[in-house]
Amino acid sequence: MAEVREKGYHHWEGQLRESGLVFWPITRTGIKLAFQRKRFKFLFALSFIPAITFAVGIYISERLEDFKFMAQGAERTLQVNPGFFKTYLSLDFIFFMILLLMALGGAGLIADDFRHKAIQLYFARPLTRLDYLLGKAGVVVFFVGLLTLVPALVLFMLKLLFSGSFKFFLDYPWLPLSIVLYSAFLMVFFTCYILLASSLSKNRNYVIALIFAVYYLSEIARGIFYVIFRSPYSTLLSIPGNLQRVAAAAFQVKPAQAVPWYLSFLVLSVFCLLTFLFLRRKLRGVEVIR
Amino acid sequence: MTAVIEARNLSRWYGNVLGISEITLDIEPGITALLGPNGAGKSTFMKIMTGQLKANIGQVRIFGQPVWNNRHIFRRIGFCPESDAFYEELNGLEFLTGLLSLYGYDREECLTRANRALELVELRDVRERPIRSYSRGMRQRIKIAQTIAHDPEVLILDEPLSGLDPLGKRRIIRLIKEFRDAGKTVVVSSHVLPEVEALTSEIVLIHNGKILARGDIHFIRELLDSHPHMIRIKSPQYRELARLMAAEDYVLNITFEPEAQAVVFETHHRDRFFNRLNELVLDPGLDLEEITSPDDNLQAVFDYLVER
Repeated sequence: MAEVREKGYHHWEGQLRESGLVFWPITRTGIKLAFQRKRFKFLFALSFIPAITFAVGIYISERLEDFKFMAQGAERTLQVNPGFFKTYLSLDFIFFMILLLMALGGAGLIADDFRHKAIQLYFARPLTRLDYLLGKAGVVVFFVGLLTLVPALVLFMLKLLFSGSFKFFLDYPWLPLSIVLYSAFLMVFFTCYILLASSLSKNRNYVIALIFAVYYLSEIARGIFYVIFRSPYSTLLSIPGNLQRVAAAAFQVKPAQAVPWYLSFLVLSVFCLLTFLFLRRKLRGVEVIR
Repeated sequence: MTAVIEARNLSRWYGNVLGISEITLDIEPGITALLGPNGAGKSTFMKIMTGQLKANIGQVRIFGQPVWNNRHIFRRIGFCPESDAFYEELNGLEFLTGLLSLYGYDREECLTRANRALELVELRDVRERPIRSYSRGMRQRIKIAQTIAHDPEVLILDEPLSGLDPLGKRRIIRLIKEFRDAGKTVVVSSHVLPEVEALTSEIVLIHNGKILARGDIHFIRELLDSHPHMIRIKSPQYRELARLMAAEDYVLNITFEPEAQAVVFETHHRDRFFNRLNELVLDPGLDLEEITSPDDNLQAVFDYLVER
């Protein structure tokens, strides 16, 4: 007689979430793990110093009469206009802090999965490769957004609040959109940059070195090419240089070099596209021969 | 019985290296063991079954549905990889709830399921300890917990017993048998025959990416018995042992290793040999220090099968 088997399933009557947010648990875990890292919270808090300084600047600019003794000769600097927001969103310190925070909390996003061979755990679940990438990207987007989009919008609101009128908004109605679009551009670029670096090695330390090295070596390369060719187009080699030019275009500020902004935009966009294609290919499958 | 897993003409290669070749196989409910030496293609086959690799030729269907690019089928499949795949910083409970949330369960359900799975693998007491502090056996069990936490109907376990001590192995074997009794379809891979014997009698022999044989373990046993085995025994009374064993007709050859105080027997009836050895240990009271089988691996059987 055949063996009679007990069927011991635990059926669940709840509603399974089948929305497009399948990637959210990956993002949530990534953010949580980033905050668990040593010194991350301290550096995260430190990265808001520019935002606080700029907020104080807005307050002083609206109370110049009260701060005359302090602000002598600084009226030009304290002028709040689109250039003020451009300066904030393209500060070297902000870029440095993004790199630092992501080196600590983002270097292992894909590298750790490769090291621990955890990719197979993800793909043995109802998750596509795109969901996985979106989940990992969400971590970088979260932190870059917190350092760029959120403070910039808060600064804009503070300007309206301290001035007590909507004149600033009426003068520059396109400014909130520029803030959103340029911040979104930064989020996309840094997401691609960090995920690409994270997918190139299983070793988190190598990834951290790569994140800083490529960024700053691109600026050194720009300098070398400029010395040799004396061409302003050498600036297209520099990551921070390209980001500065796109920022200048987004906030309608005169750029430092006479290089069309769309070339910088194109260079960074092609980089992002190639990164996406590379990552898709890299995550094609767990190619282990046994 | 209806096949739960159907593989048809599966082939997969990595550049010039062949992973598996023309595998056609039906797997029914119960435990089925994929048996083969390292590099035989077991893991490749399992990765194709779990949708992580695409077969270059052929297709796998589970419950009649194709596996590749069909993420919904993964709700019904649990996969336990051979290698450790953890976030070491997380504790056992966080690890499980994180993976469960990928199925779309709400937080409360994730916790309930995670706790139930931890209970089943007897890890509930250490659920709040970071995984990096887990022992080898605990890591193996947490891997099994993530396999079963969403109550899959098909379990695919890649070398679940490797690296475990005898107690840990016994625990996992009991657990796998419980899954079978719960009506699940379990596919286990291993390269160690005694491990497979303890789990199931239904085996599939894989070698060089091809299925060499499929059927009852006794068939393999017979093959083993018709193929001479080497058994090396270290004992201070190795000469006495050799004298007593020489009288047995299934002992084909005896070689002495005086420096090591050991003797190597060649036999084509392993079971009878070990039964007699047990008697000798009990009756004249021979003192044995070490028993090893220099050729006790499947390679010998596979070589034999390939030659046939």
